[in-house]
Amino acid sequence: MSIKSKLNRLKPHLSIDRTEKEKFQCIHLEEIPFIDSWTKEGVSPYYFDGAYCLVREKEFPIDQKHGIYSFSQFSDAVEAWNSSYIDHPLSAAGYKPENFFFFDTETTGLGGGVGNTIFILGHASLIENKVKLKQHILPHPGAEIPLYKSFLDSVDYRTMATYNGKSFDWPQVKTRHTLIKEHVPKLPPFGHFDLYHASRRMWKHKLDRMKLSIVEQEVLGVERKDDLPGYLAPMIYFDFVERKDPEGMIGILKHNETDILSLISLYTHLSFQILRLDKKQTAREIYEVGRWFSHLGDSASAREAFSNISQGDNLDSLYAKHALAYEYKKQKKWTEAEQLWKEIADAGNNKVMLEACIELAKIYEHRKKNYREALIYTEMAKSISHTVENKKSPFSEEDIMKRFTRLLKKSCVKAQ
Amino acid sequence: MKVRKNLNEIMKEMKESDPVKHNIVHWHTIDEKEANTADLPMNLHPSLKEALQKRGITSLYTHQKLAYDTAMKGKSLVAVTPTASGKTLCYNLPVLQTVINDPSSRALYMFPTKALAQDQKSEINEIIEDSGLAINSYTYDGDTPSNIRQKVRKAGHVVITNPDMLHSAILPHHTKWVSLFENLKFVIIDELHIYRGVFGSHVANVIRRLQRICRFYGSDPIFICTSATIANPLELAEKLTEKSVELINNNGAPSGRKHFVFYNPPIVNKPLNIRRSATLEARMLAASLLVNKIQTITFARSRVRVEILLTYLQDLIKHKLGPKAIRGYRGGYLPTERREIEKGLRSGEIYGVVSTNALELGMDIGQLQVCIMTGFPGTIASSWQQAGRAGRRHGESLVIMIASSSPLDQYVIQNPDYFFKRSPETARINPDNLIILIDHIKCAAYELPFKVGEPFGSFETDEVLEYLAEESILFQNGEKYYWMNDSFPAHNISLRSASQENVVIIDQSDIANVKVIGEMDQFSAMTLLHDEAIYLHQGTQYQVEKLDWEEKKAFVREVNVDYFTDANLAVQLKVLEQDKHRFTASGEIGYGDVSVIAMATLFKKIKFETHENIGSGPITLPEAELHTSSTWFSLNEEFLQNDRGRLEQGLIGAAHALRHIAPLFVMCDPQDIHVVPQVKAEHNEKPTIFFYDRYPGGVGLSEKVYEGFEHVLMEAEEMVNRCQCDIGCPSCIGTDMSLGTAKRDVQSILASFTNMKIRTGGNHVN
Repeated sequence: MSIKSKLNRLKPHLSIDRTEKEKFQCIHLEEIPFIDSWTKEGVSPYYFDGAYCLVREKEFPIDQKHGIYSFSQFSDAVEAWNSSYIDHPLSAAGYKPENFFFFDTETTGLGGGVGNTIFILGHASLIENKVKLKQHILPHPGAEIPLYKSFLDSVDYRTMATYNGKSFDWPQVKTRHTLIKEHVPKLPPFGHFDLYHASRRMWKHKLDRMKLSIVEQEVLGVERKDDLPGYLAPMIYFDFVERKDPEGMIGILKHNETDILSLISLYTHLSFQILRLDKKQTAREIYEVGRWFSHLGDSASAREAFSNISQGDNLDSLYAKHALAYEYKKQKKWTEAEQLWKEIADAGNNKVMLEACIELAKIYEHRKKNYREALIYTEMAKSISHTVENKKSPFSEEDIMKRFTRLLKKSCVKAQ
Repeated sequence: MKVRKNLNEIMKEMKESDPVKHNIVHWHTIDEKEANTADLPMNLHPSLKEALQKRGITSLYTHQKLAYDTAMKGKSLVAVTPTASGKTLCYNLPVLQTVINDPSSRALYMFPTKALAQDQKSEINEIIEDSGLAINSYTYDGDTPSNIRQKVRKAGHVVITNPDMLHSAILPHHTKWVSLFENLKFVIIDELHIYRGVFGSHVANVIRRLQRICRFYGSDPIFICTSATIANPLELAEKLTEKSVELINNNGAPSGRKHFVFYNPPIVNKPLNIRRSATLEARMLAASLLVNKIQTITFARSRVRVEILLTYLQDLIKHKLGPKAIRGYRGGYLPTERREIEKGLRSGEIYGVVSTNALELGMDIGQLQVCIMTGFPGTIASSWQQAGRAGRRHGESLVIMIASSSPLDQYVIQNPDYFFKRSPETARINPDNLIILIDHIKCAAYELPFKVGEPFGSFETDEVLEYLAEESILFQNGEKYYWMNDSFPAHNISLRSASQENVVIIDQSDIANVKVIGEMDQFSAMTLLHDEAIYLHQGTQYQVEKLDWEEKKAFVREVNVDYFTDANLAVQLKVLEQDKHRFTASGEIGYGDVSVIAMATLFKKIKFETHENIGSGPITLPEAELHTSSTWFSLNEEFLQNDRGRLEQGLIGAAHALRHIAPLFVMCDPQDIHVVPQVKAEHNEKPTIFFYDRYPGGVGLSEKVYEGFEHVLMEAEEMVNRCQCDIGCPSCIGTDMSLGTAKRDVQSILASFTNMKIRTGGNHVN
């Protein structure tokens, strides 16, 4: 039996997805199919070493709006960083707007792995008062040498901004580049702003999922028209490789274009949040900015943010007050911390009240040696601890009991 | 109070006292062997030398020295080493010395299991620590935390892993391992003999992919393999690595005095020639050793047997040694559970282990004094592996092999010469099995595009690549084939099991705390996890409440009953194509492709102590279809043509005998090769017995049967002839026969091919 007929017999045992059956055709490199349709979309071929890839270029005026921001406001954001003293991972201090490129890819599969092919490398930058978008397209597998050559020739920048590019897009670029590194220039080192992690910090409280399309819609006010869902991209690409008709690919290119443009607005918006230049910033957003500073160890900026919103009596102010108290504690400013926690212990929801009572008990026990006060707050904690889900030490009922017994002993000793 | 007896006293008692002494058919003593040593290599780095000396190693055994010299000359090798002969130095020394010479050098160690890899990591790290050299060795497996993976990839001189990890995590991400692949000098394959059959055929393909990637990065590593004693270590190593390999078998390690006892349980039913169950005998012998606190390992052939024995033994000495002193150890347990047991054995907290052959592998469990095998383990090679578990560090030790009533066991136990003198089995792999091969060609294409005409190992790929392009899995552009699919192929391919997805076993005894307690391959699940089956895990009985076949989940609940279940599998079979065949005087032998349709039909409930049948029930599961390779033999029509009943029973009986003999000759698990009789085969309408491979597409087992067919038949005939029963018993042709002529008819059928004539003997019916 020939191998092929054996294979056909064994088919039920072979895990092959048989949705598309037509044979791919070999194509000749000289002629580019559907070149007219491509040209209409601003796509032209890029030749290198006897092979080609396709490049789509598009320009946008600087005052065009994408969601709530115009592109020119990105320049404002960079300028604002440059005139601020705040040190932050997203800071553009020392950069000019032209030093950035906003970057996104489309791939044939999910996840890392050598065989997951990148078929669009798209990026945009601010050049001479315009936003210039450039997308490098893989016309068929095997044309990666011109693809990467074209890409590397056009990215002469210091830093890139991506959405989840740190763990996905850029490692995948590196992987595919490794396969052809003999034939193309090296990947230059870039700085990297990953806006996914920043967005997560800022808006996880109100968004269920952190997909770029959701952040866009909910936060940036971007509306997509006739957008095709990203998960269809591999199938459309396989169909394109087979039939060569650019029709479906144009849709993916537009999808990729919107993604990249949104990155510009997203960076602008994030910068305005952190620098507190957004007039519509909510108390919760300020609180998240403060938490971020606190996490970075910039206590002064964190306190500044928290103080700003701690004066109200809504929930956000309460949390801000609580966070601020922790900042004071970190600075060993016991009196300030004590004052804030006392306010919370008087009025608050049970969760923060419980934490405030325990923190007060600690201050009184260890700093002020006032066991009576400590005992009072511990007793208060005891009375509400059962209503709170926080079972972490030192807020667990067991820990509270221990504290209580110890304080009881200490205060007795002192009384004698 | 009785004083505890030591091993020598117990052995003396066994030899002298009733009734045990009557059951001992053979007592074989293997004398201690002196060490054969050579000086440490001259060019060994002083720190390394010092590290060895700290560990009391001042000279090498001869095989270690030869392995070192061969590897340092840049030649691949396979070292055949019995248990406890210091095999790890065979590869650790050349690897460490090479890394010292050139710190950019890398080595990849491959162990069949994670547990073994852990073990070896501690061993090599101790040497490195003692030497004070800056060499990094890491394990890389599913348990490696993600924050140190980066470090392993970039800076690990020695990366210790398993074939599954290599297949699904390292090779498909090779661009993250550039420094490993560019500088790979050694690939270590430990426990080579494990890589046989389906698993071996998969791993051979993983190695093809590995070498393909090495070529891409410009390296060409040599292979150092170590193997237990099998008949063809060199052939296996060369087939697995597709390199020219040197054989090293001058074992210079000493060994202690070992007593090898063949134990045949007494006959309890004379007319039927039924012996007392091996499990019961094992229980009795193990208990007498354990109460004297002699560390004993008991091997049982199946998971079910392990659990039954465990229940017996735990019950027996619960009060004397504590409930945790005796543990089970087998495939279905979760890794943490297994680690804990291995540790307990080494530290001596655990006195007894009941195990399937999972512990055959060279896990370091310290010194056990006694090994009991409940039944012949199936192959001579694995018998020696199991026997090596006792006294691996040179003390006096005892191995007891208890025969079951199965034909193979009885054959072996009554022929000690066969066991001690015959060369052990041959390990077979078939890397070119199309089902296996095509899976790995897909993975390989994912990893790197194929050039037109590029071979995959020794396999010519043209037709397969064309086929995959036709199926839109690959895309041909000019001279290359590219991966053109959105899937990650390695994720859907398991190296260990024929069926792709395992059935998960879920314990819902405690509704608030439902948990996964194990898993099982689909084919076994059909007969072991059907609705109402009794499933045993760590000695606890569970009843399967529901087997969700679609979702591959079995829901079980703890029960306490005095029976276990045993399921029947009905099999239909037809020949699709005949590739080879030859005639003999009395019939014909063929080899080719067949289609097998298997269906679990019903199950029986069997009472624990008496093994009587106490009930049955139906199994409703979809049938499973299998395309595979098969060898068959057909009798000429005139044989017993007038008496269909006798013919049928003769065939069933002959199949019973052959089923037990065949695995011995092709070195496989009895469940890897199936034997099925048909009174009238569909393709030639003749009485026929089929042997077929259990794995789709076949892995070369039935082909081997075709080649050595007359030999297999002759051995089966001899086994039946030698059996002392009159009309057939479980130890030769089985007991499903009602006719008294069955045994003679079986003899005639088996003899017909060897004697070139048929003894019809149809006239004198009892």
